[in-house]
Amino acid sequence: MTMVEFFSFLPYGKYAFYVWLAYGVSALTIIALFVAARRNHSITLLSLNNKFSRSK
Amino acid sequence: MWKWIQRQASPKVFYQTCNRLIPWFFWPFLSLLILGLYWSLVISPEDYQQGDGYRIIFIHVPSAILSMMVYAVMAIAGGIGLIWQIKMAEVVAKVSAPIGAGFTIIALATGAIWGKPMWGAWWVWDARLTSELVLLFLYLAYMSLNSAFDNPRTAAKSSSILAIVGLINLPIIHYSVKWWNTLHQGYSVGTGGIKDLDMQIALALMFVASILLYALLVAIKARTEVLIREQNSRWVEEEVRSLMS
Repeated sequence: MTMVEFFSFLPYGKYAFYVWLAYGVSALTIIALFVAARRNHSITLLSLNNKFSRSK
Repeated sequence: MWKWIQRQASPKVFYQTCNRLIPWFFWPFLSLLILGLYWSLVISPEDYQQGDGYRIIFIHVPSAILSMMVYAVMAIAGGIGLIWQIKMAEVVAKVSAPIGAGFTIIALATGAIWGKPMWGAWWVWDARLTSELVLLFLYLAYMSLNSAFDNPRTAAKSSSILAIVGLINLPIIHYSVKWWNTLHQGYSVGTGGIKDLDMQIALALMFVASILLYALLVAIKARTEVLIREQNSRWVEEEVRSLMS
């Protein structure tokens, strides 16, 4: 059984695999952008805080 | 309005503006996204040729347009930084690059996933696909050049020149389906490609949501970048201390 047949129970039948894969990949990419931005922000805050605490 | 824009050249004012704008971008983005997804996946009818497979268009076209729009914004902001020495324009250019690369990846990936059932191939070396891939490489080149320098001003200068030279790729991507005989289909927007009203509404909603997503990510990422660049100013020290306490 191919992936296309396996996922054909979902909405859009024979195209289900492709449509949901496309929407899934896009969602993952956007989530990755948000996670990276958040991580970057907290790492920056931590290192700047360390720097300012040391200089006192 | 003009005064307000001029004031944004100050890092502290720009930082505060980003902070204030984040909820104004986030909530409209989220509501338009949900509405747009509903319109794309539920309300829009089947296509007479491609059945339900065409529904990939609602993310493919907005992200492809955004991949080019973000590049234009990046190059223009880089140019403003070069000509008028406005540091905040350099910040906007720098933080735009990974977002634009993200949109390009989405456009390429959804295009490949769409190509498989319609053309029978994930990838072909067609003019549209190849020029969009070159756009991804331009973003990656910009990002690596920008991170290759210790001094952010030097980094901004050299990478902005790269971005401006790379602008030549945008008309090539846009006109590729006209200039060459491509497997990629012709224009869907503005030329009567899509005729169904619900499909047009769904596409418009997803497009506006994508623009808001870009603005939101710029505001989020620019805050971090301003803090790094201005770390020797007193207000950054106070801001970091108040955030960490």
